[in-house]
Amino acid sequence: MKKIILLNILFLNLIYSQQTPAPTQDKSILIYGSTAHIGNGQTIKNSVIGFTDGVIDLVASTDGIWSNEILMMFSDSNNKKYDTIIDASNSHVYPGIIALNTNLGLVEVDAVRASVDDDETGTYLPEIRSIIAYNAESKAVESMRPNGVLLAQIAPNGGIISGKSSVVQFDAWNWEDAVIKYDQGIHLNWPSPYTFGRWWLGEDRGLKANNNYSKQIKDLKNFFEKSKANMNIENSMNLKSNAMKTVLDGETTVYLYADDEKEIVDGVTFLKSFGIDKIVIVGATESKNQLNFIKVNNIPVVVKQPYRFPQSVDSDPMETFAIAKKMLDAGILVSIDPTGTASARVSIRNLPFYAGSFSSFGIDKEVALSMITHNPAKILGIDKDFGTLEVGKSATLFISKGDALDIISNNVTHAFISGRNLSLETHQTRLWRRYSNKYSDSQ
Amino acid sequence: MSNFLITSGPIFDDKTEINENWIKGQRHIIKNTDNINIDGEYNLTINNKPYEIVISNSLLRPNAKIKRDSIDIKSKTSLVDDWLNITLFDSIDGNLSLAQISSKITSADNLSGRGIDFKNEAFLFNSSRKEIKKNIKYKELKKSSSIKSFVSDVTFPNVGFGISSTPKSQSIHFKNATIWTNENEGIIENSDILIDNGKIIAIGQNLETPKNFSIIDASDKHITSGIVDEHSHMAASSINEGGHNSSAEVSIMDVINPDDVNIYRNLAGGVTTVQILHGSANPIGGQSAIIKLKWGSEIDDMFFKDADPFIKFALGENVKQSNWSGSRFPQTRMGVEQVFVDHFDRAKHYGETWDRYNSLSKRQKNSNNKPRYDEELETLWEVINGKRFVSSHSYVQSEINMLMKVAEKFDFRIKIFTHILEGYKVADKMAKHGVGGSTFSDWWGYKFEVNDAIPFNASIMHNAGVTVALNSDNSELSRRLNLEAAKAFKYGNISEEEAWKFVTINPAKLLNLDEKVGSLKVGKDADIVMWSGHPMSLYTKAEKTYIEGALYFDLAEHTIKLNQIKDEKSELIKLMFEENTPGANLKFPNPMPQIEVDCEYTEF
Repeated sequence: MKKIILLNILFLNLIYSQQTPAPTQDKSILIYGSTAHIGNGQTIKNSVIGFTDGVIDLVASTDGIWSNEILMMFSDSNNKKYDTIIDASNSHVYPGIIALNTNLGLVEVDAVRASVDDDETGTYLPEIRSIIAYNAESKAVESMRPNGVLLAQIAPNGGIISGKSSVVQFDAWNWEDAVIKYDQGIHLNWPSPYTFGRWWLGEDRGLKANNNYSKQIKDLKNFFEKSKANMNIENSMNLKSNAMKTVLDGETTVYLYADDEKEIVDGVTFLKSFGIDKIVIVGATESKNQLNFIKVNNIPVVVKQPYRFPQSVDSDPMETFAIAKKMLDAGILVSIDPTGTASARVSIRNLPFYAGSFSSFGIDKEVALSMITHNPAKILGIDKDFGTLEVGKSATLFISKGDALDIISNNVTHAFISGRNLSLETHQTRLWRRYSNKYSDSQ
Repeated sequence: MSNFLITSGPIFDDKTEINENWIKGQRHIIKNTDNINIDGEYNLTINNKPYEIVISNSLLRPNAKIKRDSIDIKSKTSLVDDWLNITLFDSIDGNLSLAQISSKITSADNLSGRGIDFKNEAFLFNSSRKEIKKNIKYKELKKSSSIKSFVSDVTFPNVGFGISSTPKSQSIHFKNATIWTNENEGIIENSDILIDNGKIIAIGQNLETPKNFSIIDASDKHITSGIVDEHSHMAASSINEGGHNSSAEVSIMDVINPDDVNIYRNLAGGVTTVQILHGSANPIGGQSAIIKLKWGSEIDDMFFKDADPFIKFALGENVKQSNWSGSRFPQTRMGVEQVFVDHFDRAKHYGETWDRYNSLSKRQKNSNNKPRYDEELETLWEVINGKRFVSSHSYVQSEINMLMKVAEKFDFRIKIFTHILEGYKVADKMAKHGVGGSTFSDWWGYKFEVNDAIPFNASIMHNAGVTVALNSDNSELSRRLNLEAAKAFKYGNISEEEAWKFVTINPAKLLNLDEKVGSLKVGKDADIVMWSGHPMSLYTKAEKTYIEGALYFDLAEHTIKLNQIKDEKSELIKLMFEENTPGANLKFPNPMPQIEVDCEYTEF
């Protein structure tokens, strides 16, 4: 008879003000009986997922495994394969969710300037590196984990070239500990051909053409050309041009922030003219007539999350939800940009729900999941290790009692980063317990 | 310093032109030489019709000559930066229509990009260049038939999604729905609901269909009462009168904008009643407006009939001007208390003076000065007397506690703490005072006073006996308050049914509207929503939203409206092109920015 030992994971680090990073996985773990959502569109009902030393070494369906083998995996004999069994029957296992274009850890409280470190002054800032300002102990960062968001791109903001972003995991002592990939991307805010009047200066506040647009593009071209010329100078001390080298070499991915069609076509054409091929479009809210252009150029899109106003007062209120399906139907690799909604940074924990909301407009749920797992991993170039539940990849995953993409059923019971068992406590859960107890004790 | 000229030939040559000058390394373009020569012939198919496009003079001012089946086609061409735009006017099905193509010029060999065809659909094109056949002859341009005149229908309001006639109350029998009653019956499955004359007239299983009732099969659908938003700033032309620390005399009822499309968007999210509050610039804000979202109605018909009057108060960072520079009193939470005490002292004195005067006999009145009428103090005197209710913007526990104590000192009660993000820290005191909490589901981290805001706030307050609502404070968020209720369920220890009450019956109770709306009960207003599934799942959509039995949002009709808007736009664009002749008096389109109005929004 199958006899499954239930193991309660103890959260020993409750007493600290910030969650103490979990120790390296020293005991192998088997998650048994769950529906596994692989992240690449596949699912396995009644799955077994095993991981040892931080790496997944078993992903299979229990249907094909003899019960003896299962017994072997957790029996007390010397042959046992897994030290710990987690019974996840009726639960779901997902790869850790990956957030793109976040300023997590760079800003703690928006209104407190002293805690804001995501927007350096200047227009062209390729030398700026977000990673060194990343606060691994941010309260906002720890609050991502209980909803399954475990990895993120930490990106600077502002200017035309904001700087370089790195990729981190959310259970770390410091930024060096957190980093998965250094300086992976550079962030280019393409100028807008349109502008709203500066009403505070007495101008009409309506939309009009940006008369400065051609000049801004020419200046940018000039900056790129100078940087290119600088590549031939030995021992150059030009900070900015040196920082552009990996961009012009095609090593650094360019995140092109562009919303409407003109921005997209101009931006992509511009970058291609410098031989840059690693381009990712971020935003793309008004791209529906240029999806073929995007597809032909083989560019992934990080589309703005759906909880925002539609483009104009007579646009379909649902257009912000329907756009992701159009992109997927066009054959584009799509992920989700979590900015542009109220309380946006802390709301990145709602990333699974942005995917769910997109899926409610005609996208298969597993495909919607890949928009926040497999696809961002590909975009970041970390798909060898992250983004899907496959043998040989990092055991960065979580268990939810229900469908993790819907608010009413997302209920995360365990989360692991590279096999390390994370605490799901936060500043917020501590306050919850403290005050729930206050009233229940007094009754 | 690099200062030099670039010219088209030897500088002293008569025909030489200056193309660029460079001053201190900065390029100044006088004559653009960056254009690519795309002169040539291109073939294009639009709506299955073949077009020959001959482009000439593309380096300077491109000209396009277009033919279809050897007929000349009227067109307009422009080149801005490196974007070539051509508009074609052709007769389609007997009407003159237009199509457009836009191409970013990147090579001399082909023209590619996207167009909008004669039927207003986007299409992609890619056409290779062919050499122009020499001595080609063009026929004289025929005078084109003029564009069909177009007058769009007048709608209420006269914007997109406006309606042509006010919806009427219907008599409907909804069958076999899952009904969230918000009453003792709870959530009942396979049940029917009857509405007639703007009211709910029966709820139960296997009801008979009365005569002349239409039947809607609601199998697999969920029916709930309409969502009530306690804290909205939509449909208002103005939000903050920020000049004084008290502006009790101003009223949002005077600045309602019934044309705001957010009314329609909210109906699409199942919202039927909202309180539009003054902003949070002052400790004592302005009077609020409570409206039903009767899209297309006049303002007076939108106001919730016989609703109790409310006023907005505010505490914390906004009123002490923490996040911008200010100098008016108060600048600290200590000062905020004194603003309230001072104003209530004066309002009390004012009211008592009037009471004394009113109690005088006619003769005595003649020999006494009549007190001066003061709109501001009159409003605050209503508050002290329990005739007007307070909804107070609040964040941290100290100030929440303070305002309750000030109210108790003047012997009245605060009705609602709105936002109330640290309500969970003083929930026992709130329950004792009798104040409700209308909070955000999961916002925090945007200012210092929301450091300890937690998504468990709603459930802790509820479990401590406080009437809890979830509000939007944002005209975008309010269209998905059903998902905010889902968050209250996710974070905390309450049932789905209780969480749903946070956006329906509970805000109705806090606004003293629960006799009429907020639950499904015989005799109440037929403000109901039919959902495609579980109302708190994000896979669900509101399919029909009724107010007093009249259908104000219908998902099926919405799709038809979208097509109408698209057709109307296309007609208007045609007219604009027709008008766009040299010397015409043109006005450029001037769309206004959409602003997600919240508490802090200030007009300048």
